[in-house]
Amino acid sequence: MSTEDRRATTKLLFTELRSSGDPQKRDQLAKLHLPLVEYLAKRFKDRGEPLDDLIQVGSVGLLKAIDRFDLDRGVEFSTYATPTIVGELKRYFRDKGWAVRVPRRLQELSLRLNKLVAQLTQDLGRAPTVPELAKAAGVSEDEVLEALESGQAYSTTSLDAPSGDDDDAPMRMDRIGSEDSSLDNLEHFASLKPLIDQLPEREKMILRLRFFDDMTQSKIAEHVGISQMHVSRLLSRILEYLRQGFDGDAQY
Amino acid sequence: MVFDTVSLTIPATAGHLAILRTTVGGFAARDQFTLDQVDDLRMAVEEAAVQLLRQSRGQRLNMDIETTDLGVEVRLLAQVDGDDPIIDEGSFSWTILRALADDIHVESKAQRATITLSKHRLTIPGGSAERDSR
Repeated sequence: MSTEDRRATTKLLFTELRSSGDPQKRDQLAKLHLPLVEYLAKRFKDRGEPLDDLIQVGSVGLLKAIDRFDLDRGVEFSTYATPTIVGELKRYFRDKGWAVRVPRRLQELSLRLNKLVAQLTQDLGRAPTVPELAKAAGVSEDEVLEALESGQAYSTTSLDAPSGDDDDAPMRMDRIGSEDSSLDNLEHFASLKPLIDQLPEREKMILRLRFFDDMTQSKIAEHVGISQMHVSRLLSRILEYLRQGFDGDAQY
Repeated sequence: MVFDTVSLTIPATAGHLAILRTTVGGFAARDQFTLDQVDDLRMAVEEAAVQLLRQSRGQRLNMDIETTDLGVEVRLLAQVDGDDPIIDEGSFSWTILRALADDIHVESKAQRATITLSKHRLTIPGGSAERDSR
């Protein structure tokens, strides 16, 4: 089918779908544009996920695009659908970053809360409380708690990973600078020194700021340029690592 | 919503510590603590519980969480062999706990070791009125 034909058929099918709501028209539209999904899915094929899975994920994006497309806007459907499909694929990879399978609803709420925490922290000059967060997000306190719990399941595996939970956030290692991280106060915990020495600079700094300089997580977050939740996760992980070190099998 | 005391007994194994963490986090979060403080408390409870577990001779670890005028008080209790202090002042654990909690009390008596942690509520302008209205 030529591009011209496909465009004409697409228009016709959309007109019919909108007037009749016939699910068959929706299917036909999906089949017609499957090659677009395949094309876009291939762009993600080197990331260790089976192509079939990616096509399936992309198809979800395609269906969303079909349901949302507005003929009157005057743009071609493929132009409209591409970002939706790519968005779905990106989200799939983002979701893969969760170490424990967390329901999509909670993941999204958790990411949304993360942004709200940053905003409220700035507005209030301190970290928000759960009731404040719930109010700002328009959800119940229980939902906030549930989402915060699930946020703990987010794996933070690489220092080079973008900081915060924003996909496009810049790497923040460079923001740490050459500040004194000698951890002088830690010197007399001789048994811990070799373990602490193995921590990346940022982790050393966070450890020092929280436990020896008595800085709050929010302040550290601001200082280091990552979210408070990220600071919390890193601190938990550092302590866990040090405890394992105590038991003789540490690996950070 | 007013809390009084929550008590929880878990098997004295590392695999169950998450339950303590989650419970104390849920308790504090509903009680006008900021997220920072909630996380501090969770970490403190975990650290204290780990120390108790290491020296525990019993099967169970007990936690009581109580609302106080200032905030919350968490009491962790386990059976131990001797009456030596469970955490030395000046140890790394002590340093961590001191940074995370506002008040720490450690006691070993009659083969029962107790670590009590207090965390003070932040005074939030309008916070108490808000709490009353709930």
